[in-house]
Amino acid sequence: MNDKVIYIGYDKVKKVKVGAGLPLAFFGGPCAIETKDHAFFMADAIGEICEKLDVPWVYKSCYDKDCRSAPDSFHGTGIDEGLQILADVRDEFGVPVVSDFSDASWAKATGEVCDMVQVPAYLCRQTSILRAAAETGRPVHLKKGQYMSPWNMKNSVRKLEAHGCDQIILADRGTFLGYGMLVNDMTSFPIMHKTGYPVCFDATHSIQLPTSMGNISGGQREFIPYLVRAAAGCGINALFMETHDNPTAALSDANTVLDLKYLENVLHQAKIVHETRLELLDKFGEDNVHPE
Amino acid sequence: MSIQNKNVNDVMLDIGSFPIVTDSTILKEALERMDDFRLGIACVIDHNSKLLGIITDGDIRRKLLVVQKPLAAFFIDDVINQAIKNPVTTSSEISLADAVSLMEEKKVWDLPVVDNSKLVGLLHLHSAAKALLEG
Repeated sequence: MNDKVIYIGYDKVKKVKVGAGLPLAFFGGPCAIETKDHAFFMADAIGEICEKLDVPWVYKSCYDKDCRSAPDSFHGTGIDEGLQILADVRDEFGVPVVSDFSDASWAKATGEVCDMVQVPAYLCRQTSILRAAAETGRPVHLKKGQYMSPWNMKNSVRKLEAHGCDQIILADRGTFLGYGMLVNDMTSFPIMHKTGYPVCFDATHSIQLPTSMGNISGGQREFIPYLVRAAAGCGINALFMETHDNPTAALSDANTVLDLKYLENVLHQAKIVHETRLELLDKFGEDNVHPE
Repeated sequence: MSIQNKNVNDVMLDIGSFPIVTDSTILKEALERMDDFRLGIACVIDHNSKLLGIITDGDIRRKLLVVQKPLAAFFIDDVINQAIKNPVTTSSEISLADAVSLMEEKKVWDLPVVDNSKLVGLLHLHSAAKALLEG
């Protein structure tokens, strides 16, 4: 397998490299962009934690949440205001930024601002979305759909590659177990990594209980550290967590975002487990038991 | 031309007449190519036509007897991961009699024909047998 390294960041932001043997990267921020002041507050607070822990990171926040359960749920700032705020975050804090997009026509503008573009899990096999993501020329953070097998993600990877994209990170955000329940199959990481691309664990969506609250999703945040340690021990290259300084007041994913006050704790544990795993690989060799 | 004077080159299947796939082809597509040509072998090459391996009906049969992962995961694997990496080959200037002897010795129905590290053809037992019968 030819391990690929993904380079995130253009112009004057602090570049982030994601790949085998490299430090664990962190993708994080509030689920939705709320206001410029809030985005700046969050970028400042997360940046301070990442600097303290020496964790390379990418600021994540979305301008349009198109998969809300209820018609009157907060939908986002909209593309123009949202991308302007993300551009301001880049300029002010020198951090790469990522947002997803849910409509192919939004891809170009998203890629013009964002250092990486994200394909939502529900849309991970939509050819028009994947083509639009590839055509931005930016690295693509591709989330495995909750309904997809990890090996089936190779079909989505091939669609991206068919349109010239060779900078891909594959994420697991849980798999449906019946209705309204997600579980994490840790074998998804080595299976998706067989594509040659780095893999990421989306911890805060993995603990989601889809639409468990009727018209919104719930979540069991108390399991975040357990799953993060398990994923980092299994082998990931990046960790994705949405975080908010006041989760109960968060305008999106209020039941799943990690309270900012716990971020340093969880991120520090992830870093330690990741580094320990790399030491184990050095000592015992690659994960090649029964390779046939 | 008598059998003594025939070389592999005289009876081999030319490029385009048998299944050839690349290392990034998935197993399912390789099997489809084999079915298209009604041959039990596909040759895996790189962008310089270098032979990287082969996959045969027999290889698939043996894999199916031991593979534990879901069939869908097996189908979507890169064919090179399931291929035989150091297959028995021949070259185009070898005498047909020697090549057929090699097929008998190795118990194979097909021999990829490789000249100067490039795949140039495939010797298939049916066409070899026909040539031998014709004398």
